[in-house]
Amino acid sequence: MRKNAGKKRVRLLGICCNWSPFACYNAAGMNRLAMPPDFRLMRVMCIGRINQALILRAFEYGADGVILLECLDDDCRYGPGPGVGHENVRRVRRLLHLLGIDQERLVECSFGAHEKEVLVETLWRFADEIRTLGPMTEGNVLGVKRPAL
Amino acid sequence: MNEIDRIIRAQALFQCLECGKCSAACPRRLTGKDYSPRLLAHKVIAEREDEAFIENAVWDCLSCGMCSERCPSGVKFSGFILEMRSLLAEKKGLKGYRAHDGAVHSWMRMMTAPELRQNRLDWVPKTLQVADSGEVAFFVGCAPYFDVFFSGIDVDTLSIAKDSIRLLNFMDIKPVLLRDERCCGHDLLWTGDRENFERLCRLNCETFRSAGVREIIVSCPECYHVLSEHMPRVVPGFDIKITLLLDLLQREMRKGGMTFRGLKRRVTYQDPCRLGRMAGRYAAPRELLGLIPEMRFEEMENSGPSALCCGNCGFINCDAHSKQIQVLRLQEARATGADLLVTACPKCLIHLTCAVRDPLRQGSVKMEIRDILSVLANQIAWYGG
Ligand code: SF4
Ligand code: SF4
Repeated sequence: MRKNAGKKRVRLLGICCNWSPFACYNAAGMNRLAMPPDFRLMRVMCIGRINQALILRAFEYGADGVILLECLDDDCRYGPGPGVGHENVRRVRRLLHLLGIDQERLVECSFGAHEKEVLVETLWRFADEIRTLGPMTEGNVLGVKRPAL
Repeated sequence: MNEIDRIIRAQALFQCLECGKCSAACPRRLTGKDYSPRLLAHKVIAEREDEAFIENAVWDCLSCGMCSERCPSGVKFSGFILEMRSLLAEKKGLKGYRAHDGAVHSWMRMMTAPELRQNRLDWVPKTLQVADSGEVAFFVGCAPYFDVFFSGIDVDTLSIAKDSIRLLNFMDIKPVLLRDERCCGHDLLWTGDRENFERLCRLNCETFRSAGVREIIVSCPECYHVLSEHMPRVVPGFDIKITLLLDLLQREMRKGGMTFRGLKRRVTYQDPCRLGRMAGRYAAPRELLGLIPEMRFEEMENSGPSALCCGNCGFINCDAHSKQIQVLRLQEARATGADLLVTACPKCLIHLTCAVRDPLRQGSVKMEIRDILSVLANQIAWYGG
């Protein structure tokens, strides 16, 4: 068991680019490397597709921590992806701060295509950090009542 | 009684004469959208089985109020849209394409969490005088949030808040700023999320009351619309005085003692729908701008009660027609020969700036746009001083 077992459950979301980071994630799975519990992965074609709204929405819908898994700046298959990610993370962190939500709950990290160990290590560290911060509120999602969409 | 029947009665839809003046003036229609308030009124009264039509149309309106302005028969069309949206949202879920992927609505909903402790006042510079407690508060609204979210298009909404406080300080008012103030909820209300809107109202009311505030000064027309009109309906016995900063300025200027420094610009003015058609404030901004020496003021072809909408409301359904309305508006502004477009609502500022920056227009609708409070705060001075 890893060291953070037994702490409070938190909801973790990884938004993962389909290319380098997902290759790492896939390879980690094939090698049966252990992933942190309560971690969910959302795969997108490019981090450049993710905007401020979608990151915020993750928190609105109850994530306690969000990590953007990006390609290295020069590896983007489309061009601007990681740069868009950096800018959106910068802005959403400021929005979270305004809302009184710890900015450390949103992080980003870049990976080369063969860094499965680094990716898994990063996810465990991320999970540890969010567990230390704790769940956003006991029980409900910040107490927010979401309307049907 | 069926809920739709009740809404029709309450908003006087039966008074519709089918004259079509509303559709002729509707900016949606003006820019070629297949949409007609008259037809919607007809459908909801006589062909209610055409649910698809009704549901689409209800979400398409910009709630700009031009139709009610033109209606000879007193149909309260915006009120109808507001109530229909709440009703449909409750039954069938929120519809309407959310601009910016709904980020604005997201943070508004996050603010309904009672346990939230915001850091919304980090921006207040030392040069501004604000009080920790007192009877008069200034409602900052979403300005700090917009400032971050729209930093990519260089709209500085925070300056409006700073300039408002500068003006208050000039009038010897040291307002309280409330750290736990929530968004007024305007955009949730007008996009049908009644429940979360009401939560924001109640939380804001608690914040005002526990701070011991008796009067709230508001600069944004949307906040004013919500706090003065909707708040008392949501919170019975809401008795805190809501003052529009422009009204206060107008009163204080009339007393004498204050004046404005000259500004050599040709200026035109955009009437925001919530300030003009909804709150009837056409004179105050013009009177105040008129006091600035050396400034030339030009009216646009459509101004006052006929002012064209800034293209979007509540951040839903921003589409090619919205953009077209904005371009029309900017063309009207440029046709006056003005080099500065003054508006009085941060939303007009955001939406019109977006159109100015549209690369497809290649700068053809380029124009400097500023909020009236920023213009006034930069020019205000003591008489003789
Ligand atoms: S409120 Fe404005 S957009 Fe809506 S129907 Fe009336 S004129 Fe058209
Ligand atoms: S302007 Fe008024 S009376 Fe005429 S069609 Fe429109 S809602 Fe009916």
